[in-house]
Amino acid sequence: MPRENYQKRLDGLRRDVVVMGEFVRERYDTAIEAAETGDDDLAREVIEGDHEINDRYLELEDECTELLALQQPVAGDLRLVTASFKISTDLERVGDLATNLAGYGGPDGGFHPAVDFRNLAVDAGDMVADAVAAYEMGDPEACRTVAARDDDLDERCRRASEAVVRDLLEADRARDARNGTAEGKPDRLAAALDDVSRSLLAIRDVERVGDHAVNIAARALYMVENDDELIY
Amino acid sequence: MATQEPDDKLISTEVSADETVRNERPDETVLAAKDLDVYYGEDRAIDDVSIEIPENKVTALIGPSGCGKSTFLRCINRMNDQIDVCRVDGDVVFKGKNVYDGDVDPVALRRKIGMVFQKPNPFPKSIRENVTYGLEVQGKPATEGDVERALRGAALYEEVHDKLDTSGLDLSGGQQQRLCIARAIAPDPEVILMDEPTSALDPVAASKIEDLIDTLVEEYTVIIVTHNMQQAARISDKTAVFLTGGELVEFDDTATIFENPADSRVEDYITGKFG
Repeated sequence: MPRENYQKRLDGLRRDVVVMGEFVRERYDTAIEAAETGDDDLAREVIEGDHEINDRYLELEDECTELLALQQPVAGDLRLVTASFKISTDLERVGDLATNLAGYGGPDGGFHPAVDFRNLAVDAGDMVADAVAAYEMGDPEACRTVAARDDDLDERCRRASEAVVRDLLEADRARDARNGTAEGKPDRLAAALDDVSRSLLAIRDVERVGDHAVNIAARALYMVENDDELIY
Repeated sequence: MATQEPDDKLISTEVSADETVRNERPDETVLAAKDLDVYYGEDRAIDDVSIEIPENKVTALIGPSGCGKSTFLRCINRMNDQIDVCRVDGDVVFKGKNVYDGDVDPVALRRKIGMVFQKPNPFPKSIRENVTYGLEVQGKPATEGDVERALRGAALYEEVHDKLDTSGLDLSGGQQQRLCIARAIAPDPEVILMDEPTSALDPVAASKIEDLIDTLVEEYTVIIVTHNMQQAARISDKTAVFLTGGELVEFDDTATIFENPADSRVEDYITGKFG
C-alpha cells in the first residue's frame, strides 16, 4: 500500500487515543472510589497524576498538528485526525473532572444520601468508555446510542440535585419549627451545607462527564459517516 | 444545463470587439461534454465522459498518470485534432455549440478557449510581441492598452512595464508562465485551459500563479489539470476525478471531494491508498 508510513501513523493515532481513553477511565474510576471513601491517598493519586493525562493530550495534539502539516490528510483521513484531536481534548477534560470528583469526597467520603453517586458516576464513565470504543470500531450506531443515553443521565442528575436541595429546604423549615434550635449547633449546620455543596458539585461534574462522552461520540460519528448530527 | 444560443463567434473568424458581458452567473454551465469517448488508434483514452463545467469557476481535473485528464482538456479546444490517430466520439458543447461540428473553426475556437501548458513556452520574441501575437493573427492591431490589460490580467505588468521590448525568454520561469497566461487572455477568451501550469515552477512562482488563477476566475472560466492534489484543493471550486481507463469517477464541489467523496475509489486515490 502506498504511503505505508503515513498509514501507520494514522493507525497509531487511533490507538493512542484509545489508550488515553482507557487511562482516563482508570483515573476516573479511582476518583469515584476516592470520593466515596474519602481515601486521601487515592484522591492524591488522581489529582497529582493529572499531569500524566495532560502530557498524553499534548502528545496527541502534536501528532495531529504534525500529520496535518506534513501529510495533508484528506477525506476520511482528515476526519480521523480532526476527530482524534477533538476527542483527546474531551478526554483531557474528563481527567480534569476526575480530579474535581476525587476532591469532593470530604473527610469521611460519601455524599448526601439522596444522591446515588456511584451509579450516576459509573454510568457516565461507561458512556465515555463506550464512546471511545465506538471511535475505535468506527461504529455509528454505538455513537448514537451513547448520545441517547445522555438524556437519561441528565434527568437523573436533575432529580438528584432537586432531592438534595429539597432536603436542605425541609431541614431549614424543620429548624425554624424547632425555634432555631439548630443555631445552637453551628457545626451540624456547616456540615450539612458542606455535604450539600459537595453533592451538587459532584452531580454537576458527573453530568459534564456525560456531555464529554456525547462529544466524543459526536466526533466519532463525524469521522465515520461525515455526519454532524450530534455535534452542537 | 442552462440552454444557450450557439456561439456564432466560433463559426466566423471575425471576433466582435464588444466585450462579453460577464454578469454574475455563478451556476451557469459554460461548457459540457456529453457521452464523450476519445480513442488513440484502438486505445480508448476517455470513456463515456459527461460533465458540465460551471462558468467563472475553477474546475480541477485530477487523477493518476494516464487516466485521460490531459486528453480531456485537449478535447475542449480541439488540440487533439493535431494527432492523426486521435478520434473523438460524442459532444463537447461550448456555449450551446458542439465544438466538433463541421462549421467550427478550430483557430477561432482556441481564441475563445485559450490554453496554458506545463512548461512555459513564450515565443522567442519580445514581451510585447508575445502578448500581441494572438490579436495580430486575427488581423486586429494591438494597442498599448491591450498589452497593458493582458499583462495586468496576468499580474505581470508591474514587473515588466519598463522592458516590454526585451525577449520573453529573458524572464524567469514563473514570469514566463505568467507571460503565457497574458498571451492566452489577450484575445479575451471565455475559458482558459491549464495543463499542469505550475509543475515546472518553484513554490514561490507556483503560489503567484495560484493567486493569479483566483483573480482570473472573476472574468474567465478556468479548467486546470494538476497532479498536485493540495493545489486542486486550494484553488478550485469543483473537482473532477478521472481514474485509469479514462473514466470520470466523480465530479463535485472541491470541498466535498476532499472531505467526503462518494466513491470509495476516489477516497483511496486522494488519500494515497490507490495504486
